Amino acid sequence: MSELKVEVAGAAEYPNTTLVRLKGPLSGAEQAELDRVFENIIQGHPPFVVAEMSETTIFTSSALGNFMNYRKKLVERNGDLVFAGLSLDIRSLLNLLGANRIFRMYNDTQTAINAYRWEKEHLRQATHLSFPSDLKFVPAVRQFVSRITKQKNYGSRDSFRIETIVDEVCNNAVEHGNNTAGRNVELTMNIDRERVELQVTNATNPEKVDMLREMSKSVLNSPQPSLEQKRGRGLALIKMLSNDLRIGFSEEGTSVHVTRLRGE
Amino acid sequence: MNKSQPYNLELTFPGDIDYIPAVRKFVAETLQAANFSPKFAYRSEIVVDEICYNAITYGCQSLDAEITIQFTIHEDRMELVVKDPGRGEDDDRERLKHAVEGKQVQFPTREQGKKEKLGLEIVKMLSEELDFEIDKNNLTSVRVVRRREGGEKAPAK
Amino acid sequence: MESQIELENEQLKGVDNAMLVRFVGDLDATNVEFVLEKVCSFLNEGFVHIVADFKKLRYVNSTGLGVLLHFNKSAREKNGSFKIANVNENVYEIIEIIGATSLLEIYDELDEAVESLKRA
Repeated sequence: MSELKVEVAGAAEYPNTTLVRLKGPLSGAEQAELDRVFENIIQGHPPFVVAEMSETTIFTSSALGNFMNYRKKLVERNGDLVFAGLSLDIRSLLNLLGANRIFRMYNDTQTAINAYRWEKEHLRQATHLSFPSDLKFVPAVRQFVSRITKQKNYGSRDSFRIETIVDEVCNNAVEHGNNTAGRNVELTMNIDRERVELQVTNATNPEKVDMLREMSKSVLNSPQPSLEQKRGRGLALIKMLSNDLRIGFSEEGTSVHVTRLRGE
Repeated sequence: MNKSQPYNLELTFPGDIDYIPAVRKFVAETLQAANFSPKFAYRSEIVVDEICYNAITYGCQSLDAEITIQFTIHEDRMELVVKDPGRGEDDDRERLKHAVEGKQVQFPTREQGKKEKLGLEIVKMLSEELDFEIDKNNLTSVRVVRRREGGEKAPAK
Repeated sequence: MESQIELENEQLKGVDNAMLVRFVGDLDATNVEFVLEKVCSFLNEGFVHIVADFKKLRYVNSTGLGVLLHFNKSAREKNGSFKIANVNENVYEIIEIIGATSLLEIYDELDEAVESLKRA
């Protein structure tokens, strides 16, 4: 009897995807069992399948042939079959057999499913950062954001522009904020394949509220913001680099909301 | 920096390994901005990397799981708390106890626990304090302290 | 997703079946797949001696080290070798903590690594 153990996780756990855990050997000897499992998946489960193989011990070329066959049927149903968690030894062997040109391989199931959701379901991911209201932290903050956009395959031009927006918004938050209030600057970033949304809030210096309100009104209402004027230049730049810019002022704090659509 | 007022930072990000490079570099750059040496920052970067990698790989079961880092910069040290949702209290306690207390270094194999141990071995060597707890909200947290003086010296072998 | 590492390679002159691979950037869990695929392809094409130049490798973590140990093992299984040169102080320290300095062939200079191949 085969030592292979197969578990199929329900769609309730991972919506729109099927997770198959394969523990033990994968060779020609397991074909009948694998055929049965995959036939069942192909007929009745979501067609995006992650094969979790961190406890797979052997993966032979004949088993690879079977997996190519299952993948073909899943692709015909607008799905895919990807591998997750394989050991380096098995991954090297699969590379030798050319499997890396057919199957996408991931470190873990989480990453595999997230990559699918990012691509097909427009997964939106949120990051929140709270940092002291001090200019010396702003370079690290702006680079943090642009590294995420680059990691998420945004181009260097888009990433640079987003970095500039973060720089300007955060510099304003620190310069015009109330640094004696002991409150951090809060940055929330939402990203999906098409857009980046940033929200930055900070404590406002009550004496500056009126001036800031006036300045932002003049920049936001001007069809062609001027970079010549010293005051409001940062805001003008943000407006030029973004697709949507909204600012809210109150005694409690200032909140800037910027949206930039992916251009590249 | 005022001795009585440390810098407090907090970072929450998706349980997705794509975020780790940006997160670890953010911590390193923030430490340098607070006048810690490049060496201290580099060692802290790897500490953050290893803890976050373990948190994502072994501590995030739900797809929407998030990791939170609470990061405090004192004049003489940095303190880091990394929280993940875990997979169920008993498992988490066992997993972390094993990893934090285990002495034997193992090279990566298929067995996940050994990989985690290897990463935490680096963290242990580079930190003055390392402990863990499961809080009242069932979040698993790993806490690390790195001191300026200790961090600048070569780690004890 | 975008890799933070680049691998530049060129065939080593004067040594049979040897490839020089320059690692540029950070080696971590997000790009292990890319590095594995590339270096394994050299080994599979018959370049069983790999000389890795780490001059521009800024960073490596435990996952990256796992891959380096794997290359070492794979090259030896093919009667070849995996040699590393120009390791910066920070990266060396991590290799040392793991206790992998005795498992990996590490040279101060690239020339020394290449010379050791010529002598073999």
